[in-house]
Amino acid sequence: MPNEIIIIDDEKIVCTMCKKVLDAEGYQVETFTDSVQALERIKEKRFDVVITDLKMENVDGMDILREVNERYPDTKVIMLTAYATLDAAIEAIREKIFDFFPKPVKIEDLKTAIKKALEG
Amino acid sequence: MRKAEKNYFLYHDINAISELIQLGKEEYKAIQAEKEYIFPNLGRKTYEDLMTKFKQYVDLASSIQESRPLGPDFKLRFRTLGHELTRLFELLLKQERRNVNRIILFNISTLIVALAFILLVQLVFWQYFFRLIIKELGNIEPLIKKVSQGRFHEVAVSSVPSHDEIGIAIEAITNMARELEKRESALMQSGKLASLGVLISGVVHELGNPLNNISLMAQGYLSLYDMMGDEEKKHYMEDILSQTERIQKIMHNLLDFSRQKKTEMVEHDPGEVVERSIGLVINHIKLANVKLHKSIEAGLPPIVMDAPQIEQVLINLFVNAIQAMPNGGDLFVEVSKDQKNEAVVIKVRDTGSGIPKDLLPNVFDPFFSTKGTKGTGLGLSVSYGILRQHNGEISVESEEGHGTTFIITLPCHREQEGEGDAE
Repeated sequence: MPNEIIIIDDEKIVCTMCKKVLDAEGYQVETFTDSVQALERIKEKRFDVVITDLKMENVDGMDILREVNERYPDTKVIMLTAYATLDAAIEAIREKIFDFFPKPVKIEDLKTAIKKALEG
Repeated sequence: MRKAEKNYFLYHDINAISELIQLGKEEYKAIQAEKEYIFPNLGRKTYEDLMTKFKQYVDLASSIQESRPLGPDFKLRFRTLGHELTRLFELLLKQERRNVNRIILFNISTLIVALAFILLVQLVFWQYFFRLIIKELGNIEPLIKKVSQGRFHEVAVSSVPSHDEIGIAIEAITNMARELEKRESALMQSGKLASLGVLISGVVHELGNPLNNISLMAQGYLSLYDMMGDEEKKHYMEDILSQTERIQKIMHNLLDFSRQKKTEMVEHDPGEVVERSIGLVINHIKLANVKLHKSIEAGLPPIVMDAPQIEQVLINLFVNAIQAMPNGGDLFVEVSKDQKNEAVVIKVRDTGSGIPKDLLPNVFDPFFSTKGTKGTGLGLSVSYGILRQHNGEISVESEEGHGTTFIITLPCHREQEGEGDAE
């Protein structure tokens, strides 16, 4: 059974590129550019890894992180952001983030982080 | 004469009679000499009566001196003649007084008429001069009005001012307007740069996303190269190009906003200007967890404006609103026509902390800030100046704890007060 990953980012290219690379790695990937819809999906289904952007309209990365932590303590959340401030990183760490990547993201780093997340 | 007469009858002084005759002859000659003058005063008949009686009086005195027979009622006749002469002389004197009074009255009247005439001439003269001065002052008045309205660039005179005091004043006002224009322009630039500083965090995020997209596409392109067909490779490159265009657009908008441009008053769709301004801060709005509620009425009339300046005002209001809602909130932007269809009203409302009532009257003062070291206190005062230049208005309503609304009014037709000012 392949590991399931959800990718949430309002930038469509992030979703499509990450899906392409991770599909090729053998993961089962779902993508959402609308974070509200993504949150609804998370509520109905558990994923092994959640990759989310931090700053999004309506529901942002921190909301996703809190929801996942509450529902599925074993699921690992990896956050991406173009707004990489120290405050944002500290807040994410407090909410038990697995990893935090400032944009532009290196795909190899992301792949490594996913592997680590699934191992742990 | 009558004194000599009295001395004779009381003291029988014969010398008094000689004196009387002497005086009488002299007086007679004098009255004859003044005949032309006395005639009109007494009338011919009275004059002749006076002369006859005078002659009789002197003749009677001569009779005494020459010891001629005097007759029984001599004393009575002599005294009666004396009385008669006194009466006639008094009449003459009275008439003379009347003449003198008439002359004095005439002179006074002439003096009054002359004074009135001089006064009238002066009045006409001064009115002419006042009109000249007021006409010249009339050239100054529109200049001062423009300065007071902050329309410094319109302060210009078509002709070279004269070298008198008025000309010097016009030149001084023109120079003052130039200087004020320079300073206001510098102030606006400072306000703009202050807004720009606040925008930077949003811009970093805005640039970060397309950069990340390019990076991901390039990485994907390299790692999936062998698995891709030509069409897919082409598609990747096109996507990369569109992302660079996105970056270029952001940079252009920023540069456009930061650049100091000459004021250019042209017709613009106010809705489009509001949309463009929102476009510049949309990321900032998102980052601050602020929900934007936008309502732009259809069919707004075009407004003559300097669009970059109005954008500057709007961006400043948006940034203020975002800063007033540190934990997120709602930002309402409404653009509509006013009831009379004479102006476009832009309302920017936040659900932030609000401004304390006692500080409200000061919000448009230069260097007044409620943000402590975070604010320059220039934004709203510069906005106020910009609106004034557009013959528009900016006002504020606020309730502490509930939020603040800024209301901008831009008139549809700019008053053409400048027309024909500099004749």
